[in-house]
Amino acid sequence: MSTLSDDDELEEELRQAIARADAVPPLLRQAAVDAYGWRTADAELAGLAFDSLVAPGAAVRGPTTGRLLSFEAGDLTIDCEISGTGPARALIGQIVPPQQAALEVRQRAGVTTLESDQLGRFRAESLGPGPFSLRCRASGRQVTTEWVAI
Amino acid sequence: MPVPNEEAARLVRAAESGDASAWEEIVESFSGLVWSVIRGYRLAPADAADVFQTVWLRLAEHLGRIRDPERVGAWLATTARRESLRVVQGRSRLVLTDRSDLLDTRHPGENAPEQAVLDAEQAMLDSDRAARLWRAFGALPERCQKLLRVLMATPPPSYAEVAAVLDMPVGSIGPSRARCLDQLKRRLADEVSPAG
Repeated sequence: MSTLSDDDELEEELRQAIARADAVPPLLRQAAVDAYGWRTADAELAGLAFDSLVAPGAAVRGPTTGRLLSFEAGDLTIDCEISGTGPARALIGQIVPPQQAALEVRQRAGVTTLESDQLGRFRAESLGPGPFSLRCRASGRQVTTEWVAI
Repeated sequence: MPVPNEEAARLVRAAESGDASAWEEIVESFSGLVWSVIRGYRLAPADAADVFQTVWLRLAEHLGRIRDPERVGAWLATTARRESLRVVQGRSRLVLTDRSDLLDTRHPGENAPEQAVLDAEQAMLDSDRAARLWRAFGALPERCQKLLRVLMATPPPSYAEVAAVLDMPVGSIGPSRARCLDQLKRRLADEVSPAG
């Protein structure tokens, strides 16, 4: 029966096993390289301030309620509700304070442009699963939300 | 070799000012670490792929905003941990309301990363000794799996990065590592010698 002489040998074996079985898939490595192309150095970042998925006390929700996300940059807030599952999800949003604004919904598959109405409301259909971010030009400001996977 | 702090800080500053090759070097240096953290949470392949991409998109957006650029590895590890936990927490919340998201039919091109994960695991199982090691590893307590998985990332992370992932003091990494390897050795021995 073969035995392992010491921790180093076992560790090296495990390292090789993991490198073989569970290395970063090349397509994901490429996605990480491509992420650089999405940076918006000029924009203010709206951080994720609320996520109903992980909010305490939000555990029991009816199946008709979507996931609520709230992003904040200073006094500007962008609230979103993501509904639906599977390949196509819908997004309903609200900019606070309410205002007409040009928006971009950013996903790896592409960018969709849309506008909010005068009450700051906007909606987008057919978002795919995966990371998304919003860009918003409102009252002379350029704001980008933090990326969140939906 | 872990990436030295000064080098990490230099890469972050270069990428921030538009140097795409510096960004690629950051990806080369830390994608193994990020992946190891995510895989430690045993997420479904589609979720693991989403979290991995989210982490790198976040870093791209945060390049000029990271307080300690020399600790970018720890920043990535922490972000990967938080986002993995978000998925774990979210999944446990969904209960019976709607599980159809687990059967996502994605765009054809997006199946590939998940398939690659599954293929690699299969290739692994073809090797007998490696398969036993993998099984023994999979039977370890979750905390040991997380620790060893991160320590075995390629290229190896610094203890500071490991500490960030596991939220444990740097000083206890060495002893924990020894204990976990010891457990792995015992489980492997159980696998090798037939009962009786």
